[in-house]
Amino acid sequence: MSEESPSRWDRDKTVFREMLREEWRLHSELLGGGRFGAFPLLVVALVAGAVWLLDSTGTDPGAVVAGMHALAFVFGLHTGSIGFVGRDAVANVLGDVTLIVFSARTLPLSQARLLGIFVVKDVCYYAVLFLLPMAVGVAPAALAGAGIGLAAIPLLWATLVTTFVLGIGLTIAGVGLSAKGLPGRGLLLALLGVAVAAWYTGVPVVDYTPYGLYLDPGVASAGAAAALILAAYAVGAATFDPQAKPADRSVGPAFRRWLGRVSDPVAAKTLLDVSRSSGGFGKVLFSAAVLLGVTAGLVDLAADITGVAPSVGISFGAVLGLTGFTTYNWLTTNDDVASYLAHPIDTAAVFRGKLRAFLLLGPAVGLAFYAVGVLWRGTPPGEAAVGAVVLVGVACYVFGLTICLAGMSPNEFLFDTGLYAAFGAAIAVPLVPILVVAFALAPVSATLLAALGVGGVVLGALGMGLYRRSLGKWAAHHRE
Amino acid sequence: MTAIRTDDLRKSYGDVDALAGLSLSIESGELYGLLGPNGAGKTTAMSVLTGQILADAGEAAVLGVDPESDPIGVRERVGILPEKESPPSFLTPREYFQFVGSVRGMDDDAVDERTETWAERLSFAEKLDTLSTDLSRGQQQKTMIAGAFLHEPAVVFIDEPLANLDPIVQERVKRFLTTYREAGNTVVVSTHNVEVAAELCSRVGIVNAGELVAEVEPAELDPDETLLDVFVENVDAGEEWKGDE
Repeated sequence: MSEESPSRWDRDKTVFREMLREEWRLHSELLGGGRFGAFPLLVVALVAGAVWLLDSTGTDPGAVVAGMHALAFVFGLHTGSIGFVGRDAVANVLGDVTLIVFSARTLPLSQARLLGIFVVKDVCYYAVLFLLPMAVGVAPAALAGAGIGLAAIPLLWATLVTTFVLGIGLTIAGVGLSAKGLPGRGLLLALLGVAVAAWYTGVPVVDYTPYGLYLDPGVASAGAAAALILAAYAVGAATFDPQAKPADRSVGPAFRRWLGRVSDPVAAKTLLDVSRSSGGFGKVLFSAAVLLGVTAGLVDLAADITGVAPSVGISFGAVLGLTGFTTYNWLTTNDDVASYLAHPIDTAAVFRGKLRAFLLLGPAVGLAFYAVGVLWRGTPPGEAAVGAVVLVGVACYVFGLTICLAGMSPNEFLFDTGLYAAFGAAIAVPLVPILVVAFALAPVSATLLAALGVGGVVLGALGMGLYRRSLGKWAAHHRE
Repeated sequence: MTAIRTDDLRKSYGDVDALAGLSLSIESGELYGLLGPNGAGKTTAMSVLTGQILADAGEAAVLGVDPESDPIGVRERVGILPEKESPPSFLTPREYFQFVGSVRGMDDDAVDERTETWAERLSFAEKLDTLSTDLSRGQQQKTMIAGAFLHEPAVVFIDEPLANLDPIVQERVKRFLTTYREAGNTVVVSTHNVEVAAELCSRVGIVNAGELVAEVEPAELDPDETLLDVFVENVDAGEEWKGDE
């Protein structure tokens, strides 16, 4: 061997550079470079619009900043899971791709070091392309004197980035502890329990996070945030084993039982996919629970602003109808149309199977959480009944619209600026009038209730129409 | 009787001609090899013949059925082993066979019986109830092979069937394919492995740049000539090959 091996630092630099290039190409390949390049501008516009809107309704801009930190945190949790849950999970979301982070199997690189560089790369990439636009989006409102100082924007960016870093660190720690068997999972649950109990009993938990640093800049808050982040990464470093492979999972045959229930092989397979992939049916319920929480928060906010209690039935029904999107997303995460084409099944049959699975799961989940919301907050029986009709109508509309725009790849909405804008507009057109009635015209008159009921039915029919009209388009697309 | 026929099939992806006028004819009872370098158009040809994608021009028929106008009709009659596909992650091999049986309208008892036969033939009985996502690549390949033959079709398209298999299982698959062909069925094997094609196939079509450039019966080759020689001669690599000698 005459050639000298590169130093570890040189290798790390090369890996870092190539990972950055890979991330850009991954998004560009999936969504078209130009459209993805416009995403940061859309983020600036959305944040600027939201801050302006909330400011003009008298809402504390601090609530927007808190929401941005929550978003950065969730984003960190999600981003961390891509690199740390494994190649198969990545393949389920992105298709057949091999990322540099998995190249320790073939190159003289340590897996732990690759994962470290992966974290640094993600932090740099998202800090510039997503979190910076989020912070900059506040600037117009700050200039207009909306209650956020222009000087606070660099601090906002810094705390958004560190919140994102915290999210990734907690994912590593969580995955690491989960892989340590019952004791590790027990400890994880105990830590979560302590955090929830502390929050519930009034301990100012957020003061120890990067958001606390934003609220009260100083050495103490910076130290607390740094300590939390370091603790998360220390637990992750101590417990996370990148080479660990879960034991083979054996299960009793269940396909025919499910087939007997749903009478469609694609629907049976789809429901088995959901029940057996990470999180099981719990992830569908979790998504609906998040929407329930958001609706409750919106209702409270609207009541504070207007001084009038909104219609719980109509508002909860309309927003929980959006579970149509989250449920459909879970139904399509584990497969694509191409994987069925080796069998005597055409594209329309694949979508029919998805429709059947959706009709079994989507409205039922939405209605279950709707019942919780209605019982929790209370609403007149008439509004409760119409709200249920609106929920099913919106859910079916969202289902048909999603298929029309994105086929079996609803995840594309997350990054494709054009699709995201089209989807947002098509959702806003029916939802805004319904929410205006719910928030501004409560208690809702019998005439309006009747109109909303009819509207719900029409929306549902429109969704099914969009679904049917899309079948030909996707059949042609998948045979190109 | 002609099992598969194509006439001047063409398919382009942007500027790349994946198929540039592919014409071939395969008789029933043949074990036909589609041999070619990477990117020669083998997988595209199989995708067109099984109705998974549409050709831009040309005609094709599989067992008398046009894959363009009746893709489901073709796929009902044939078995397919795609090169890159693996069984659904969250079904076990047993459940995957039940899924295949269900979409093909097979009797449950026949599916169960053939599941046991294939598990024994390819030595994966102990993995029948393991989620596919937890199987090795080799076990996944065994599952996909069994899935392609489960309904015992008259024509089977298999893409790189021996990939990821250990030598013993490779040998069992080769013997099975030969027996299957001898029973009067047609098997089309897409491969870039010359040795596999020479050993296994009754006739080999050499595909290069989307065209059929030669057809060879390995058993009829002169003693001083190999399939590799014919292959190298026909894929524009002859000079480079001679230079290496």
